[in-house]
Amino acid sequence: METETLDLPIVKKEQSEGLLSKRRRKFVTDPLNDDNPITVQVLGICSALAITLKMEPTLVMSVAVLFVIVFSNLIISFLRNLIPNRVRIIVQLAIIAALVTLVNEVLKAYYYDMYKVLSVYVGLIITNCIIMGRLEAFAMGNKAWDSVLDGFGSGFGYAWIILAVAFFRELFGFGSLFGFEIFKAVGIENFPSNGLMVTPIGAFMILGIIIWIQRTKTGYVEH
Amino acid sequence: MRQSNAYIIIFSIITTIVLGGLLSIASVGLAPRQKIQVEKDTKKSILGAVMEVKKTDDVLSIYEKRIESLVVNINGDVVETDESGNPLIAENVSIEKNFKKSPEDRLYPVFLFKGSSNEIEAYILPIYGSGLWDVIWGYIALDKDLNTIKGVVFDHKGETPGLGARIAERDVQSRFIGRKVYDSDGALVSVSLLKGEGNAVKLLDDHHVDGLAGATITARGVNNMLLNYLNHYQNYLRKISS
Amino acid sequence: MELISLGIRSIFVENMVFAYFLGMCSYLAVSKKVTTAIGLGLAVIFVLTITVPANWLIKEFILKEGALSWMGPQFDTVDLSFLQFIMFIAIIAAMVQLVEMVIEKLSPALYGSLGIFLPLIAVNCAILGASLFMVQKDFNLIESTVYGFSSGVGWFLAIIALAAIRERLKYSNVPDGLKGLGITMLITGLMGLAFMSFIGISI
Repeated sequence: METETLDLPIVKKEQSEGLLSKRRRKFVTDPLNDDNPITVQVLGICSALAITLKMEPTLVMSVAVLFVIVFSNLIISFLRNLIPNRVRIIVQLAIIAALVTLVNEVLKAYYYDMYKVLSVYVGLIITNCIIMGRLEAFAMGNKAWDSVLDGFGSGFGYAWIILAVAFFRELFGFGSLFGFEIFKAVGIENFPSNGLMVTPIGAFMILGIIIWIQRTKTGYVEH
Repeated sequence: MRQSNAYIIIFSIITTIVLGGLLSIASVGLAPRQKIQVEKDTKKSILGAVMEVKKTDDVLSIYEKRIESLVVNINGDVVETDESGNPLIAENVSIEKNFKKSPEDRLYPVFLFKGSSNEIEAYILPIYGSGLWDVIWGYIALDKDLNTIKGVVFDHKGETPGLGARIAERDVQSRFIGRKVYDSDGALVSVSLLKGEGNAVKLLDDHHVDGLAGATITARGVNNMLLNYLNHYQNYLRKISS
Repeated sequence: MELISLGIRSIFVENMVFAYFLGMCSYLAVSKKVTTAIGLGLAVIFVLTITVPANWLIKEFILKEGALSWMGPQFDTVDLSFLQFIMFIAIIAAMVQLVEMVIEKLSPALYGSLGIFLPLIAVNCAILGASLFMVQKDFNLIESTVYGFSSGVGWFLAIIALAAIRERLKYSNVPDGLKGLGITMLITGLMGLAFMSFIGISI
């Protein structure tokens, strides 16, 4: 009966654990750098590259992905003991697809300009492997609050990388940020915009270089 | 229990109903707003041919105040009802659907831009055609002399970013302002984009504007679209000018 | 002629990988060896050729506004297009499952070589992407089939080319931080640059 007495304090400890304890903070901070979904886990690259031409759609996309990942994590985590194992993938897909549809409808109603710019890429959030990956790997086995934090972590990790790519692409491709013409504002009238940045190639190049810099810093080497 | 077929089926059905229900509510609830947004978008691009529309502008009320619309056929006669007798509304005439018919059978909307004292300031005509990859469309606004271009807007579905896609940019569109669509003999010549960019000034005249580097085919599409549609509207334009 | 042009365009110019960045996850993950790349590539072609027309039917007869009118005139104004995402992904997942079962029954050898890739395909964004583009571009049934097939071929070419390059890359001296994903990204960029030269081809 020793196990029983051992069990109790552990349970109590869990209950009194702060909402943002050290263990939980790691859920959020890890994906930002050491375990970044894009540059380390190599997930969710499709949409990361396609909509990074300018800052504004990229920001909208980040918010959309963040919303979907946090809520799908939360819902799946609530349902994790109810979902039959054999159909769990399709249930996960259905919940993600429903949330994405919601985002799509809201964008269409309140932010029509961006709806037109993002077009099919909003729908492709469904197949963003970051989300499926987190549901499978985390939300299926963890409590709701932890899953929400995990969702925030992965969402932010995704967001800052695509925002970084968009920053360079818009800056060098159009000489502007959020549509505001930076170079004109500081007095450089004829800033030569870089055509390469506007094409898909620019996105690959910048992401490659970001990965290089990040991995040189963290010392992570892939074999 | 969790793995039995019955449980799986019941679970699936409940999930489907809950998700389907939630989405239907969201969709029905947001539909009116979405409709307004689509309407706003069309009206914004119509107005875009004659004026700079800012994000903060109340597009719908400006439109209400300044635009009057009608629909004509290829002969330039005003058409008021469709085949089944319902009144035609120019804003609801789909240029895309009409484009698929032969030019003689199409309906052609006309948007009249009016000044503060209700006099007509410009005629805005929708245009539609093919670019390099996919369709392109836009509006051309003619001044009250029915010859000088007051402004144009173009948009596209899938032209090459940075090359052909530049037709949607203001500084490309502004090249058309002040050009003439008829020559001195009164023949329709339209206005075309030259091949290449940075053409010598002497090449630019009333009917030619500087082109787009690396987007010859898109530019050709724009030229054809302008000429074709000005041609289709020719009978109407003749009628109102006489 | 139109169809050939559409095919050529979707293989080379509007390549799923280089122009739309679709199917990148598995593209990067499964491009280490040419043989596995071929397996996955074939599976993608196969599934795309089936799902795009299948989704076209769904769109045309269930989802589009007025699509349900075959059930009676009172359904003329029903617009279910908000269910598009959920229906498409369900069809794709179901098709993948079906294809997996059929292959397993008919050709165990092919199943052995394709088997592990098939479930992966359900979450490949190239598949869903092709269906969404099909809606956006307003294709008819034949065009959708051609589009599905040739998009698959384009993806197939891209992954095989990359896998071949990566096999050789093992012998080159790449800076540590750039190894793996980094250099693959840069290579994909250069390959995309090469594919861009197809722009303007018209048949």
